[in-house]
Amino acid sequence: MGGDKIKKDKRQKREDYRAAMRKDDISELPRKKFYRQRAHANPFSDHQLIYPPHPDQMDWSSLYPHYIVDDPTSPPPPAPEQTPSEPDLTPLRSKPLSKEVSVADIGCGFGGLLIALAPTMPESLILGLEIRVSVTHFVEDRIKALRAQNQEAGLYRNVGVLRANTMKFLPNFFRKAQLEKVFICFPDPHFKIRKHKQRIVSTTLNSEYAYVVKPGGVVYTITDVLDLHEWMVQHFDAHPSFERVSEEEQEADPCVAIMRTETEEGKKVERHKGQKHVALFRRLEDPAW
Amino acid sequence: MMVLPYHLIKVCGSTVFAAQGGDIHSFNLALEYVSSWKHPVPQVNESNGPPAEAQESPAQEEPPTKRRKVEPGQEQSPKGRRAKSTNGQPKNKKQLPGNERPFIQGLYATTDGRHVVAVTGSDKTIWVFEHDGVGNLKQLSQRAMPKRPCSLALTRDNLTILSADKFGDVYALPLLPSPTPPTTTSVTPGATTPSAPSPPASGPDESRSASATPSAATPNIFKPQATALTVHTKRNLKALENQKISLGRRALEEQLNRPQFELTLLLGHVSMLTAIAVATTTVPNDDDQGQGGERVREYILTADRDEHIRVSRGMPQAHVIERFCLGHEDFVSRLCVAPGGRAGVLISGGGDDDLFMWDWAEGRLLGRAGVLEHVNGVVGGGGGEGEEAGVGKVAVTRVFACGWEGGVGVFVVVERIPAIFRYELLEDNTLQHRETIPTAGNPLDIEALEAPGATPRLLVAVYPSSPAEGSSNPSSFIALDKDETGWRQTDVKNLPAGGDIDISDTELQKMLYSTETLRKLSDFD
Repeated sequence: MGGDKIKKDKRQKREDYRAAMRKDDISELPRKKFYRQRAHANPFSDHQLIYPPHPDQMDWSSLYPHYIVDDPTSPPPPAPEQTPSEPDLTPLRSKPLSKEVSVADIGCGFGGLLIALAPTMPESLILGLEIRVSVTHFVEDRIKALRAQNQEAGLYRNVGVLRANTMKFLPNFFRKAQLEKVFICFPDPHFKIRKHKQRIVSTTLNSEYAYVVKPGGVVYTITDVLDLHEWMVQHFDAHPSFERVSEEEQEADPCVAIMRTETEEGKKVERHKGQKHVALFRRLEDPAW
Repeated sequence: MMVLPYHLIKVCGSTVFAAQGGDIHSFNLALEYVSSWKHPVPQVNESNGPPAEAQESPAQEEPPTKRRKVEPGQEQSPKGRRAKSTNGQPKNKKQLPGNERPFIQGLYATTDGRHVVAVTGSDKTIWVFEHDGVGNLKQLSQRAMPKRPCSLALTRDNLTILSADKFGDVYALPLLPSPTPPTTTSVTPGATTPSAPSPPASGPDESRSASATPSAATPNIFKPQATALTVHTKRNLKALENQKISLGRRALEEQLNRPQFELTLLLGHVSMLTAIAVATTTVPNDDDQGQGGERVREYILTADRDEHIRVSRGMPQAHVIERFCLGHEDFVSRLCVAPGGRAGVLISGGGDDDLFMWDWAEGRLLGRAGVLEHVNGVVGGGGGEGEEAGVGKVAVTRVFACGWEGGVGVFVVVERIPAIFRYELLEDNTLQHRETIPTAGNPLDIEALEAPGATPRLLVAVYPSSPAEGSSNPSSFIALDKDETGWRQTDVKNLPAGGDIDISDTELQKMLYSTETLRKLSDFD
């Protein structure tokens, strides 16, 4: 009984806090403790997810309001591959953006990487995708606060976050070859053999990454679990659409340093003095056939 | 006791195969009974391995998603013991549900008519038969798949079976297994060499593009996956300890459970697959040899419960996703590539109110055609019993196309609706509803006997609306012919005896009407 009471109070506090954070004039950074959620989500279950049936029906304007093209007469620069005479799939391009998302952080967690990447890639729209609701809300509030705090500098306008199950719905958000960079940082290791299908990297899923990443684009992976690292390397190596990026090139990539130090998990691993294993994979051109 | 209805029909050359429960009966073109094949009724437990071992092996369990629903309750009570059982396999009680009978779930034939392929559900088995051309089947092989196959397709050369399973994976297996038992299922990737693979520009790229997959079972060196550096809590460290202990045993089990036949993982969705089809395009031959002419490209189309239709290249490049056909807002259950020179058009149906027409090679929606409105024409308009308001949703179970009166006829069956909906695929790729053909019972499957110069004869398996009570059994296998006056129904006579089974009507319905269950529950998070 008492436990229930405490739980309820805690939940109430959370809700009050989060409701307060939603208000427009708040520019204080959110506190994680009100957004914690169990670290694992089952990618096979039918979460109550919102996703567009087709990438053209995705309304990005609420995520990146500063990139909305004001002049409605100018044609949207990202030319969709489809003819305008689309029956029934009327693209929701009422508020087109001047550019489209080109960097995705799959499983962005509390958004450390997104926030660190945003100022270093001011020309790119960066999207974090996270399956856990509360954590997604945290990142939303974090971005909102940071945008408010850096109003003059205009920072953090190029990051956004979405709740999504990317293992199922990546192609609902991104067109073929839309992305330049995809980050997969400290994914759930799923140690049990029978859970391996739930791993975010597998040869069959890599085909979907290959679909959304343009040739020449790069998939970044980092983990503290050596076995998972080997698993990811093995599966990307085995996939004909990817090749491993050489060590020199990897270390020269500024994103790698950010990935090592700025992700929340990266910091935690640092505290525990764990190892961090990095591997980058370049999307190759599809073979002729 | 119930007499099982016929539920699948497949025309194969001059023979008609029809499935009834676990039996396959064959008929000649005059629909006279020829012979039967009966499923060798299950030996209760899985055939390989003693039952004690089967209890602990993860591979033979149903997908974890299914089990998990039961587990939370068990997990709560004996809290102190969890450390042990989380690591070892949870000891689930093995119980065969009453409806887990070996029903034939799919019936396929090679284009040359020389082989018939069947899938049975509960034992996840793919059966291949040699067909003598006049209706006699000789069983050639029996292969139990790792997961339950949902839909099969045959490649254009009739040499390979593509099996799409409940777990979202598509496997390729040779129609006729090679006599030498395979040792490895796939090319082992150079796991340890970080060097770049050969660039794809180097020629036709046959060598490494077989898109063979290092499946979960491939690594044969087992070692602890977490280390003391990655897990920290006392409980997790204990779990790690236990994991190390059980690894050796598990490695052995994995070895034993691996299928003992050639099996290649081609592609996979993270969703239950519902349909697979093979389609082709013809492109001008523009390679350096300058031979000219044309060549055919084969594609694999896969549909899943999460509204996707994926277009992948055919073997050996099945890892390349060319397109998605996106637009469905509920599950997709059926794919139908249009016949008669219209192979560029794909018709898909499922839990949406409409059928969708696609230019599948471009991933472009061509149009939609309503189903729900016509269903309500049947159910709401006096045809149904008491349901005046009609239905709010439909689950398309069959989309079958054939040449029809000089054009392309598309026949659609909807779950639990006693009618067949005939559409015509017009030249401009719209799908026009032409008529609704009422049937005496809910159709379960439909095929057509095409004869040159004549209107095809429809063969329909129906679940008779009123199960027989003493009176002569209403036939569940009928032929429909169209003439000037309308549709004429002929019951197929002299059906082989048998097919009685101790199963309740509700249970039987659950087995026959499973498409609607693909719909997602809206109040779930």
